[in-house]
Amino acid sequence: MTFDERLAAIRASMIGHKLEALVAIHDGAHFIETPNPVFVLSGFKSLGPAAVVLARDGEASLIVTPAWDVERAAACCPGLRVIAADDVVDALESACSSHRSRGGKLGIAGLAATRWDIAGRVTEVVPQASAADDIVFDAAAAKTVEEIAHAREATRIAELGYARLVEIARPGMSEDELALELKWHTKTLGAEDNFLLLCAGPRNPAVAPSNGHVMQRGDVLVAEITPSYRGQLAQICRTATLGPANAELKRKYELLVRAMNAGIQAARPGAPMASVCRAINTVLEAEGYGEYCHPPHIRRRGHGLGFGSIRPGDVSLDNNTVLTEGMVFMIHPNQHLPETGYLLCGEPVLVTARGAEPLTQQRSALVEIGL
Amino acid sequence: MLAMNPTLLVGPADWNAARMPKAEFVARAGALWRDIPSATGVIVYGDRVNHAELAYLTNFTPKLEAALALIPRDGTPQLLVGGGVNMLPAARSLTFIEELRPLRNVGKTVAEWARAHGGGAPVLIGSAFMPYGFHQEIAAALASGVKDKTAELRRLMGRKSARELAVLREACAALDATVAAMRAAQGSGAGATAAVLAGEQAANRRGAQDIRTLFSLDGGRTLRPFEALVERAVDPLQVYVAVRQLGYWAEGFAVLATSPQPCAERAGDVLRRAVARTQAGERCGEIARGIAQAGHPPHPVTARVAGNAIGLAIEEHPLIVAGCEARIEPGGVYGLRVGLSDQRGHAIVSAMVAVHEQGNEVLWSSPEAA
Repeated sequence: MTFDERLAAIRASMIGHKLEALVAIHDGAHFIETPNPVFVLSGFKSLGPAAVVLARDGEASLIVTPAWDVERAAACCPGLRVIAADDVVDALESACSSHRSRGGKLGIAGLAATRWDIAGRVTEVVPQASAADDIVFDAAAAKTVEEIAHAREATRIAELGYARLVEIARPGMSEDELALELKWHTKTLGAEDNFLLLCAGPRNPAVAPSNGHVMQRGDVLVAEITPSYRGQLAQICRTATLGPANAELKRKYELLVRAMNAGIQAARPGAPMASVCRAINTVLEAEGYGEYCHPPHIRRRGHGLGFGSIRPGDVSLDNNTVLTEGMVFMIHPNQHLPETGYLLCGEPVLVTARGAEPLTQQRSALVEIGL
Repeated sequence: MLAMNPTLLVGPADWNAARMPKAEFVARAGALWRDIPSATGVIVYGDRVNHAELAYLTNFTPKLEAALALIPRDGTPQLLVGGGVNMLPAARSLTFIEELRPLRNVGKTVAEWARAHGGGAPVLIGSAFMPYGFHQEIAAALASGVKDKTAELRRLMGRKSARELAVLREACAALDATVAAMRAAQGSGAGATAAVLAGEQAANRRGAQDIRTLFSLDGGRTLRPFEALVERAVDPLQVYVAVRQLGYWAEGFAVLATSPQPCAERAGDVLRRAVARTQAGERCGEIARGIAQAGHPPHPVTARVAGNAIGLAIEEHPLIVAGCEARIEPGGVYGLRVGLSDQRGHAIVSAMVAVHEQGNEVLWSSPEAA
């Protein structure tokens, strides 16, 4: 799928929903869990609040703040009319005026996640607009050719980042120091951002943002390394020990790898996402960890990857999204086990006609960092 | 100045009791109660993008998901942390608040808390930053007409304490080291992003909590965030740097060049005059007007806003903009910037100024304005 084909699919859906125009809004707070309809419709990652007005059969306009960022936006989006603005809502009101005067039906995407001082005003500008998130994000469930290439590059950077972690992580270093160094290192490789969760301890209750905890010999180090390359995230989930790992930890980690492989095997076109989760759970249940396959221990076995669309959504038992070629998402049976604490194990995959293709060169394996 | 917001905050944010003791936070809350005597408590929202007010009252920086502080006038404050119960251990070292709970069922939680603490009239802080759905849930749960008192708190935040000023000086020292590292890299022929990254690494190694950068590939005409590696060397290289140390931001512009830059020198002259004018009691609008008259033609980046107060947020109020009637306050710390752009060249320079009862003190300035 190309970007233009995706835009055509969205316009076709707008016709089906009898929408005259569609407004996408985003407040500039880029987050892995929050889809960004402006990015989907424009490919532009904004500094500040931004909006797109997509006419069903006419032009598309990108409103960008701060106004001085307009040239970067125009270079990124040659097919869009780019409007420089100091206030996104004022500019949106002007951009929507012709559509409103025609009395056509408007749709809006992104409102729920937008900060109140912007969202509240937007609802006054387009008071009758109906929710159109599904129109935008359904069309973006499969990645474009360009997004897939970017996901591959982000994965390459993530693997190099992990190699750097293994090289430098040592007792006496704080989690914060290690996280800063890794984020910086992945930036030197071309990642413009990194959703980097990293923590260490003898028995981690979860993976969490780093803090000042000073790592000790024997700690289990868990890391979700998630670089973004040109706005496309990819993630690897890894576990390493500072010093030798005990035999039980090795056995349990191998169990997680088997569970992950079962999930990857189950992810193929036509399969519902829930079946991927079920395949992972089945491996763990067979080893007596059935109760750990559900909340509060675990709520999902993977997720979509933004910053644009986060479809196909969570790898969870209640997600019946049917997998199609071109979808990119995480499969990670990240699991708290009573004997080991929380362990991370996961790969980004691309759904192809032949099944799920891990984007990584090396799949997850427990690493013992020599001291 | 706005730079790209990261998806997750990475960097040291633990509460440092020696540098910012609990008594400092207690005094801040006490001052707030005096300013809003009818409030039975405050509900303070913060997320990874906007959390200066939350940090001011709790020291907590939400690195991942949003947080909500429930601070009663009488009683024990609570901090509700997004992400579930498993996130609490990692959050504990970031605040002096001892009662931490997962942030869930927000409407029900705040309604019950409000009833338990005097029933009637808690106020909101930071409600503008709440996501639309989150705000609706809180508004529906609380009595109609619940008031937002962010502006009142910001007035208190504007006057920095001695401890805050000490931290801001450290942030400015980190900014200085960052710019120096960028200058050294650029001077030795490093590519544009390599030079910027050299500065970012210098900041990290000084223990910076965060660093944000913008740079120019066209001689300072436009600014951009890091999007991809740019291997070619750029001279002059206009940079914008914001460094956060122990919660507090310092920001600055610099023109990195291997030859004299007349445009930057002219901007430096204008900036020096603006700094001299930044005295207690001066109207912000007058400072902006002085810059606009002397610094012509203005750079698009600085044309609308010539500065702002700075501290726990990169951009605090008041803004140094035309027509602003707010006055420069003693105890305030301000960032001032001057940008020029015409056919002869482009440059933006800046300074950070602490304003005292008598006179002011330049905490940092672009070398062109020193």
